[in-house]
Amino acid sequence: MKKAFHFLPVILFLIFLPDWLFAQEKTITGKVTDANMAPLTGVTISINKSNKGTITDADGKFTLTLPATAKLTVSASGFKTKIITADAAQNDIQVKMEEDFAKLDEVVVTGLATNVKRRNLANAVATISSKQLNGVAPAQTFDAALNGKISGAYINSNTGAPGGGISVKLRGVTSIYGNTQPLYVVDGVFIDNTATSGGLNAVTNAASGGSPTSNQDNASSRIADIRAEDIDNIEILKGASAAAIYGSKASAGVIVITTKRGKQGKTNISISQDLGQVSARKLLGVREFTAEKAASLSRDPSAGAALAAQFTAAKTAGQIYDYEKEVYGNKGFARNTVLSVSGGGEKTNFFFSAAQKDEDGIVKNTGYRNSSLRLNVDHRITDNIKIGISTNYINSSADRGLSGNDNTGTSIGIALSSTPSFAQLHADQFGNYPANPFGASNPLQTIALMTNNESVNRFITGLNLDAILQKNNNSITRFVARGGFDFYNLETNALFPSALQFQAVNKGTSIQGATKNLSTNYIASLVNSFTPSDKLSFTTSAGITRESGDYYNLLNVATQVISGQSNVDQAGALTATQFRAKYQNDGVFVQEEAVINNGITLTGGVRFDRSSNNGDVKKYYAYPKAGVSLNLTSLGLIQKGLFDDIKLRAAYGQATNVPAYGSKFTSLVVSNIAGNPGSLVNIQRGDASIKPEKQTELEAGIDFSLLNGKLAFEFTYYNKKIYDFLMLAGLPASSGFSTKWVNAGDLRNRGVELGVKAKPVASKNLTWNTSVNFWLNKSLVTKYTITPVPQGSFGYVLGSFQVEQGKSATQIVGLNGAGVGVLGDAEPKFQMNTYNEITFHNKLSLRFLMHWKKGGDNVNLTYLQNDFGQTSPDFDAMTLKAGMPNGIYRISQVGSSAKVFVEDASYLRLREIGLYYSFNKLPPALFIKNIRVGASLNNYLTITKYKSYDPEVSNFGTGFSSGVDVDPYPASKRASLHLAIDF
Amino acid sequence: MKHSKYIYTAIVIATAIFFSACKKDYGNLNSPTIEQFLGNASKSELNNLVSGTESGMRNNIAFYLDDVGTIGREGYRFSGSEPRYVTDLLGANDATLSNSNFYITNPWAARYRVVKNCNILILAATNSSLISSSEKSGYIGFARTIKAYQLLLNLNLTYTKGIRINVTDPDNLGAFVNYDDGLTAIASILDSAKTDFATAAVAFPLAGFDGLNDAAGLLKVNRAIAARVAAYRKKWPEVLTALNESFFDVTKDFYLGVNHVFGTGSGDQLNPMFIPKNQSGEVRVAHASFAADIKNGDDRINKTSVRNSTASLNGLSSDRDVWVYTSSTAPLPIIRNEELILLYAEAKINTNAFPDAVTALNVIRLGHNLAPYAGAITTDALIAELLYQRRYSLFYEGHRWIDLRRYNKLANLPIDRTGDDVWTEFPLPVTEQ
Repeated sequence: MKKAFHFLPVILFLIFLPDWLFAQEKTITGKVTDANMAPLTGVTISINKSNKGTITDADGKFTLTLPATAKLTVSASGFKTKIITADAAQNDIQVKMEEDFAKLDEVVVTGLATNVKRRNLANAVATISSKQLNGVAPAQTFDAALNGKISGAYINSNTGAPGGGISVKLRGVTSIYGNTQPLYVVDGVFIDNTATSGGLNAVTNAASGGSPTSNQDNASSRIADIRAEDIDNIEILKGASAAAIYGSKASAGVIVITTKRGKQGKTNISISQDLGQVSARKLLGVREFTAEKAASLSRDPSAGAALAAQFTAAKTAGQIYDYEKEVYGNKGFARNTVLSVSGGGEKTNFFFSAAQKDEDGIVKNTGYRNSSLRLNVDHRITDNIKIGISTNYINSSADRGLSGNDNTGTSIGIALSSTPSFAQLHADQFGNYPANPFGASNPLQTIALMTNNESVNRFITGLNLDAILQKNNNSITRFVARGGFDFYNLETNALFPSALQFQAVNKGTSIQGATKNLSTNYIASLVNSFTPSDKLSFTTSAGITRESGDYYNLLNVATQVISGQSNVDQAGALTATQFRAKYQNDGVFVQEEAVINNGITLTGGVRFDRSSNNGDVKKYYAYPKAGVSLNLTSLGLIQKGLFDDIKLRAAYGQATNVPAYGSKFTSLVVSNIAGNPGSLVNIQRGDASIKPEKQTELEAGIDFSLLNGKLAFEFTYYNKKIYDFLMLAGLPASSGFSTKWVNAGDLRNRGVELGVKAKPVASKNLTWNTSVNFWLNKSLVTKYTITPVPQGSFGYVLGSFQVEQGKSATQIVGLNGAGVGVLGDAEPKFQMNTYNEITFHNKLSLRFLMHWKKGGDNVNLTYLQNDFGQTSPDFDAMTLKAGMPNGIYRISQVGSSAKVFVEDASYLRLREIGLYYSFNKLPPALFIKNIRVGASLNNYLTITKYKSYDPEVSNFGTGFSSGVDVDPYPASKRASLHLAIDF
Repeated sequence: MKHSKYIYTAIVIATAIFFSACKKDYGNLNSPTIEQFLGNASKSELNNLVSGTESGMRNNIAFYLDDVGTIGREGYRFSGSEPRYVTDLLGANDATLSNSNFYITNPWAARYRVVKNCNILILAATNSSLISSSEKSGYIGFARTIKAYQLLLNLNLTYTKGIRINVTDPDNLGAFVNYDDGLTAIASILDSAKTDFATAAVAFPLAGFDGLNDAAGLLKVNRAIAARVAAYRKKWPEVLTALNESFFDVTKDFYLGVNHVFGTGSGDQLNPMFIPKNQSGEVRVAHASFAADIKNGDDRINKTSVRNSTASLNGLSSDRDVWVYTSSTAPLPIIRNEELILLYAEAKINTNAFPDAVTALNVIRLGHNLAPYAGAITTDALIAELLYQRRYSLFYEGHRWIDLRRYNKLANLPIDRTGDDVWTEFPLPVTEQ
């Protein structure tokens, strides 16, 4: 099948476009104001059943050419939508808009090509506005900016290393070893979010077995490339009931991102500059040594005496150092510049942005840089055909350091853990670092000489075509096609020169990775809106979809590298690995939505999907969905009074997660010896009959608003069942295989989400918008067909995950002193957040976001690591057991109980707070419309009892087993100053 | 107007069906699949399986040697990043050996992975119509020999807990057999390989089998391993028979034999037992008793190297690095002449042929700069002498713990910290239960 055929339907429809009848046209003018008669800028006025429209200018005025009589829809964000009839006789139309406190008229995407107003929505769809995402205290990367903002999500930052790495789980874990991360869709383009390892395992050997890569290599997620500043709005479809129409990629939910677009009117130019400082959120502290304590590091009396002498000498010379502070205590400088230009005429609108940020990390020689260009253009070819193009080029570069678990003593945290304060690690006057006598590496040397860089060049292009094929008084049919591609080139460069202490054997290691990935997707659909009467309307859509991916990774590990060189050919030994993955999913869908009496909304749809990753590539899997919402006030069942709006809703849907590429094959990997090429059976057994995991979700809720929408409540209950969840099951190793992909069982997530939005104060001089959300999720493994084994951590001795029937999917088990028992659960008991915006005189604005995660345990091994190195700050305190130093006590627990390592990771965090002032009444001669200055703090205040660097951590990256803490790159906090000028 | 709606819907569905015609199945883009080998394998494919088998034998071999070496108090593996070497393996405080930890799960799985590869090789060679029947016997004999050796290493770890012998069908694994039955089964696999080699033609490349890489040589290797198994089974006459058919030779180099070899080529491995001298953080050091117990003048003291600073961890310390594997490409013995000489001595002692035993022991003694044996000529005294020689001759080659267990002498091992234990066996990996 040639690529050109993808566009066949588009071409077909363009050829067969019906003839258009053009009525007599007339030009009208009008003005839009708010309730206080103040003019409103940027209000969209569109002619119903056409692709034509305009927006109001700075004085709230608009001009529009329209057929003799037409219905106009007047809409603006934050206001209730109005539909007015404009006839030729009228000339000056006055429209007065009412504020939409409860956001009932917000339009929410419900299909691949259709949307519905929140008033009629059958699902709880969370939205994040541009201001909430990026307007309080901007985070380093887009994924980090989501944290704490999505009701129903468990978002966890894997690491503090620059460049991101965030796990997002919507409504509980939806898979154990399959994909747990939501699908990101930006302007209709499915975004690849693969985390590609840079091959650090070749040096750290964190996962033994000789593979150069592992899930402990601390790779960033590729979604981090996206620029938060470009985003206009995010909608989160949390489960199958909302996301079924996305089919086989939607089982972990879908995050639908819409970027900013140009509007008709005067060209807006905006420049913003942020300057900030990044610093460690918390340092653990170090053990204070004395001569006796130094001597106690060795059991050998003469070695102990030498250590004591070494300590005394260091003390006399004033050479006692706090290495933790020296390594993690740096302040990083951060800057971010964004230029955006937007505007448009009657036919063409555009939005352009150019942005660059550059940030240092808290560890020297680490940092993040991201440069981005975006051009979004919308053009109306005729009154009936419009196209939109979104293009984005991104160049990002992250220097991530070396952190987390290892088995070679090379990672910075592991090296620090065994280095006491009297060790002498600093370089001499020639820049040569001494070997660390207390560890396998000198962390100061490692930081100074090593490189671990990921750099990305990425193009994302989306196309959107909307053509009206047919229209009459009560029916309109559109052809909607949407698609695009996401292509990136990722280079990973990990360089460990031969001068490094731990390169004694390999004499210099250079690990060079090159990855390219092309993802494409499109949908082509027909959408018919049929309105037989005012009280009845139908929207029918049907179409085809395709998604494909082509991933290519080449990783070269060179050792015995010639001094000062990084090219892999400049080396004495070279091991190459190559990995490719390809998939294609095809789908067909139909969906029907009916609105009856403006109050009853019925939705039904089904999508059929097949995937080249399934065991049976020919088989189509069906994903039905259905939803109903009853708006009791719109129906008149309850009179408007105390209640402004009451809606009951329920929705059901199915989605799946396709198996990972290659899970159906039992392959033989290369294993050479003395130049003889060898084939050795892979430890992973394939399953030729592998099926996708299936999810069904039933969600029901009630939404109501009081006091003219100033107080709105949303309550949702969901029951999400996952059947045949994919599991990399442990096999009896005597079979020759260690793991196998299986459809291992069923699990269930049940939860509630409560949201309150209010505008307690709305006077002319002071407004206060607030929202409070509460959510919790409980998971239960309802069926499990294989033997439960510890997984996703380091076994029972240190605390491990273990999937077991009748238990929470994320339970943590381990030795409890009397055998193996449940020690905790990674799932939070509940979470809450509150977002507030207080505005004085429309000029000074204070915004903040608080996030409370209650419960949820981590496996904290950072402390244990420091205990083993006898450097933990409370090593000598005796708070855990009378008469026994804490450090000794914790070590004594290894092998008998893991209780002390499984730790509550609750926190209350002031994630973001920002104060902004706008100068918006400037003299016209300045050509400046608005100047905004602000200051913000991100991650500054955290209340937690958790003892390691940060309760948010994941040694194993973005998967099922988050919360394992092994000497991570410490989390950071940031303080920034902001200046923005609009012309 | 409804009509047009249906027309367009029909077009969409028709297009969809059109697309359905081109379903995609990409196959495995990265590596060959098992089915490819089992179909009708060519000689080069079978050779790839042979090399994969030989290469795979090296996987996780360091864990095996550290398990046996640490519990047998030959030395310690100090690791800043892996405490369990000095807690679990030595039984620190209340620690016990866990069935889910790397020290048993990793070496166990690596050995059975090679067993699987051997089984694939046997099946692939059987199914192949592109090789002669003598070539077939060569591949099968090699596969059976290696399989038996791999099973033996796992049985050494789990001892009375046993091993599975029949693991051809992953969905129907054979039952566990106990230690004695395990050894019997291993011996019988070796014997059937012996039969294979009788009619075999070997033309496949081997890396660590210098001088023993043809059918006759492989038979000698097979018999050397059979001699070790017979000794474990206390079948002393069988030990002597097997030695006679092996490369056993008191006049030859102690290091004659077969090895795991290492290299820096692509996809190859470095010797994981090599750690440069005087490292800190990640070290392998000799137990203090190694230098304390060695006889004056014994040149095997050079299997350790005095450190320029004492290494300590967790209440343990040592001032000697293990210096058996002296470079990252140094070979690691599978079985060698020195062990065969000692097996000969052991069989002779146990059959009361003391003069022959002393002759063999003196070959070892003289080879290591010691005077001829002058001790008592009794079974107990000679066994003590034998165990001394095995301890120093086969230092860090994976023997002492097993030898002391065979002679019920684990209680003689030194305890370094109060509460430490000497384990007799590893638990079966959790995945097997």
